Parts: sequence; C-alpha cells; structure tokens
Amino acid sequence: MIEAKDISREYDDGAKGRLKVLDGVSLSVAQGEFVAIVGRSGSGKSTLLHVLGGLDTDFRGQVTVAGTRLDGLPDAALSRFRNETVGFVFQSFHLMSGVSALENVLLPARFSATPVTDLEGRAKAALDRVGLTSHAARNPGQLSGGERQRVAIARALFSSPKVLLCDEPTGNLDAETADGVVALFKQLNASGLTIVAVTHEDRLRGAASRVLTLSKGVLS
Amino acid sequence: MSGSLWPLVKLSLSRDRRSAISSTFGLAIGVASLVFFVSLGLGVGRIVREKVFPVDTSLVEVVPAQLSFGLLGGGTLDEPTVARLEALPGVKRAYKKMNVRAPAVTIYRGDFFGRPLHMGLEILAVGVEPDFIKSDLMLGDFADPGPDKPIPAIASTRLLEIYNKSFAPQRSLPQLSGQMLAGFIFPVDFNRSFVTSTNPNESAIPSQAQLVGVSDRAMLAGITIPLDAARRLNAAANKDAKTFTAVTLAATDPSQVPQLVAAVKAMGLRVDDQDRRMAENAGAAVAISTSSLALLSVLICLLAAFNIAHAFSASVRAREKELGVMRAVGASRSALFRLVLVEALLLGLLGGVIGTALALLAGYGLDVAAVRFVPEFPFKPETWFERPLWLMGGGVVLGVLAAVAGAFLPARHASRTAPVRVLAG
Ligand SMILES: Nc1ncnc2c1ncn2[C@@H]1O[C@H](COP(=O)(O)OP(=O)(O)OP(=O)(O)O)[C@@H](O)[C@H]1O
Ligand SMILES: [Mg+2]
Repeated sequence: MIEAKDISREYDDGAKGRLKVLDGVSLSVAQGEFVAIVGRSGSGKSTLLHVLGGLDTDFRGQVTVAGTRLDGLPDAALSRFRNETVGFVFQSFHLMSGVSALENVLLPARFSATPVTDLEGRAKAALDRVGLTSHAARNPGQLSGGERQRVAIARALFSSPKVLLCDEPTGNLDAETADGVVALFKQLNASGLTIVAVTHEDRLRGAASRVLTLSKGVLS
Repeated sequence: MSGSLWPLVKLSLSRDRRSAISSTFGLAIGVASLVFFVSLGLGVGRIVREKVFPVDTSLVEVVPAQLSFGLLGGGTLDEPTVARLEALPGVKRAYKKMNVRAPAVTIYRGDFFGRPLHMGLEILAVGVEPDFIKSDLMLGDFADPGPDKPIPAIASTRLLEIYNKSFAPQRSLPQLSGQMLAGFIFPVDFNRSFVTSTNPNESAIPSQAQLVGVSDRAMLAGITIPLDAARRLNAAANKDAKTFTAVTLAATDPSQVPQLVAAVKAMGLRVDDQDRRMAENAGAAVAISTSSLALLSVLICLLAAFNIAHAFSASVRAREKELGVMRAVGASRSALFRLVLVEALLLGLLGGVIGTALALLAGYGLDVAAVRFVPEFPFKPETWFERPLWLMGGGVVLGVLAAVAGAFLPARHASRTAPVRVLAG
C-alpha cells in the first residue's frame, strides 16, 4: 500500500546551515497493516508522515501510495490524492470552529474534483462509524476532547481513504478517552483500513501490528 | 468547483461579520462618491450643452472678413460668395442672414398678458431664410408681409428662459410659454434709437412685429424676422441691402465641420465660433471639475482596496490553521486562492451595489430638495443628474475590482500557506 524508498528531508536551519531530519528512510506498508512509528520529540516523525500523505513536497526519494507516485506530482494532482486516497488525523484535532460537526466532516467534499452526491448522508455515515451520530449538529465547542478527535477521524474517513495517517492522535486526550480512540482505530483497521500512526504512547504502540523507531533520520 | 466552495465563503464571511461590514462600507462610500459625481457631471454637462449653450455641432457660422481685401473685393458675403460657400464639399445647405442695419426700438404701452406694461426697449433684428427656423414656426409661413402688416418674428428660447426665471418674477410679470406668445403683436420703430442720435434726415419707420415662435436658432437679444423683411427695411433706411451679415452652413455631418472651417478661411472669410467656444469652455469646465471629483472618488476606492487588503491579510493569518486543514483534506493552492478571492468578490459586489444605490438615492434627494428649496433661476433643471446604465454597471464593477485587487495578495498568501508548518503538533 505504501512504498517509500530512500527519503531524505532537510530543513533550512537559519545560521547553522541545513538540518537533516530524514536521511534515506525506506518504508513498506502492506494493505491492512497498522504501523506505529515511534521516536523522541524532534526525530522527524511528523515530517515523515507529511511526506507519506502528500502534504510535504520538498523531499528527495520515491514515494508511492496506493499506486500513486507522489514525488514530482503537481499540486492539483497531489491535492486530489490527499482528497481521495489518504485521511489525516492530528494531535490537536484542527476542527473548524463555529460550524457543526457534520459541516466539519464534509469539508473534504468542498474540495472534491468530482461532485459528491448525498453529502449529508455520507457525513452522517462517517459520524456513525466513530459513534457520534447524535452529535452531528453540535459545534466543536460543545464537544469533549475525545469527541472532537472522533469528529476529526470521521472527517478523515469521509472520502473512504485507503490509508489513515495519524500524528499523535491520542496526545491531547486523557487515558480513558485515549483508550476509546485506540479501540476505534483497531476496529477501523479490522475492517480493512491501513493505518500509519506516529506516537510515543504505549497504548497505541500496543494496538499496532508493527512498530518502527525513527532515530537520527533513520527508521529501524 | 467554486460552486462547492460557496458554503465555505458564506461561513467565513458570516464568522467575520464586523470586518466584512467595514470592508463593504468602505467600498460603498468610494463607489457612491464616484457614481454621484460622474452622474452630476454628466447631468450638468447636459444642461450646459442642451439648455445654456445649445450648439448644433453641424452648423458653421460664416461672417465677413474684418478687413476688406479692397481691389480683390474678397471678404464680403454677397450672393456669388454665398453660392461658392454652398458649393463647398460637405455643405448641405447655406442659410443667409442679414441684420437690419438700422437701430430699432420697441415702445410698449398697454395690457401685457393681463398686466399693464409700460416699457421702451432698444432691440436688434436679423433676417433669416424661412427654412432656417421652420421647425420652430408656430404661426403662418414666415414671409415678409410688406410695409403695412406685422412682420413675423421669432424669439430666442434662451431669452424666454431668462425672462421667465429672472425678469418676470422681479417685476411681477406673468410667466410665458411659446404657445402663449404666438400671435402676440408689439410695435417696433426701425431707424430710431434711444442711445445713438439717428440721422435727422432719415425718418423713423414705424412698424409692428408678431411673434410666431421661439427657437434656439433665433438671436438672443432681439427678434429674428424673414430675410426679405430685413432686405426691405435696410433699403428703406438707405442701408446696405445686398451683402449678408452672416451665412450659416449646415454640414452634411458634424465630422465635416473642421474641413469646412478650413475651406471657409481659405476663401478669406471668418468663422464665428463664439457660441461654440463658449459651449466648449463651459463643457470643459464641467468635465474638469467632474474628473477631479471622480479622481478623488477613485482615491477613496483605492483606500477601500487597501482596507480590504488589510482586513483580508489579517483574516488569512487568523485562519492559517484552517487553511492548512483544507490543504490536508484536498484543497489545492488554486482552490484556496479562489476561496479568498470569491469572498472579496462578494463584498465588492455588495459594496458596489450599495454604493451605486446610495449615489442614486442622494441624487434623487438633491433633485427633490433643489425643486423645493432652491429659487427659480434661468436654466434651472428638473434633474441635475444623468443616470446612464453604464454608470450604474461601472459602479458595481468598480466595487468588485477594488475588492479583488485588495484581496489579491492575501489570497496568494493563503494559497502559499505551508500546511506542514501550521499542522504539526
Ligand atoms: N519548517 C521547519 N523549518 C526548520 N526546521 C523544522 C521545520 N519543521 C520541523 N523542523 C525541525 O525538524 C525536526 C523534526 O520535526 P518533526 O516535527 O518532524 O518532529 P517530530 O518527531 O514530529 O517531533 P514531535 O514528537 O515533537 O512532534 C525538528 O528538529 C524540527 O525542529
Ligand atoms: Mg510531530
């Protein structure tokens, strides 16, 4: 499902010159896998996830996700890839304030290259998968942290992606709520969804089928 | 594509209502002042053109040269010269004019449209060909009736306007219309003057004039009578009854006028373009003041555009995370660019429509106020404004352009937001 070869990523680090964050990372994830990537803070986990999801384009190496070759892909095609093939879940949810959970969930439809039919029905189905059918009309401000993350997951699921990319999805949640979200990931994975999650939490690591460690720019 | 962006545009405008309102207001003020001033300028320009200095752009007024060419005999307007003028290319028709070269006075004693009037007035008279004023003729056939009958006379439209708005009110005389005047008979003594001593050897020629119409083509300070009557009076007063005072050339088309003027000058004659110059000067004065006010309004719109730029760059910065999320769920750079630009376009449309409506409202208000509170004066119009459709459309387009121009850089900034930077936790 994911085939990454020899990925390098450097940042301009002001006066000090260039900071090499990824140094020839290669990664292969099969369909239906649940991979956890761990590493200490600043090791480049988010950077790697952004490369795999087509958000970051300033890398060297080759990345193919669900048959789409990402390196060198123009912005429009890359955007379509993000819209249709992957779903992102972030540590701090990043929901739009002032609009309902439902409206948040169908955000991807606003940028779809093909017209989406039955917007509400599909958004409700996505909310149903994360167990929040009854909260569709609420604004993010009226939801708990765990519920907000579930809405964010529903948004990632809206376009029926092939891969879910999660960056510290439980980092802002208390233990009990985090357990619930991890259970949800397990359930989604069981239904066939490929998941790559960046974390330094044991509970997520425990749920994964494979754990990789990123250190000094190298994955092992 | 942008059809589906619609809900997001609505959302962000309604969330940031206060800044949207202030942006729209700024645009509306700029557009309103531009539409208002241009509309006023066009209106005043039209009044000047059509009422104060009505100039027929296809007419050329030819007058004799100031210095006679002596032996050559050039420079006068006699019949052969008129024939040559009429033969010039681009001339449709030549109308001869001859002043009554003797002084004339009118002494009126009696009933004047229901009021007693006692007045003596020095007047001028010019004879013209019937065809020249036939479209304004209300009575008879404008021919010389001979010595003992009233001479048909045409009065100037402008003179009537000045009489009605200034002269009559101050003297409690009745308001008059062309219809009322038609048929009015008053005495005119030719070869008589209050101001110059007339030759005692020549006796006055008592006569009468009958008003048969009012016309823009009639002379301002006098009466316009049939050419044959002027000839007869000049002969009776022992004045020149052969050469003409002026010849009015009707060009086949206004575009022919410049060549025609050149040809006339080449013949050693002059062109009297005083009226035209006056109209042009007045028109230019109106145009200059209108354009300076329009420029000021454009500056206000520019200011409004800066205001939009400021508001939008603040809004884009505040929405950085949201824009990053949009990128993550599949927004392309151009989609975000469009999103911001469509927001601005909507505000521009709103500002343009509101501004144009404000300008129209202010114009109608001023028109009503002018009718009610400004006293009558010559050429006072019913409306001071001209409201062509292109101006209304232009107002709306200006609003949109200012808004889009202001939002351009913020929109580009939005499209270049690096999602990685704002999303990483
Ligand atoms: N835009 C950037 N410019 C310069 N340096 C950057 C930039 N983004 C990230 N970095 C640096 O790259 C390194 C890797 O960052 P990254 O966010 O991938 O780490 P991470 O493993 O996700 O850390 P954390 O666990 O704290 O989220 C860090 O040292 C960070 O300071
Ligand atoms: Mg990170």
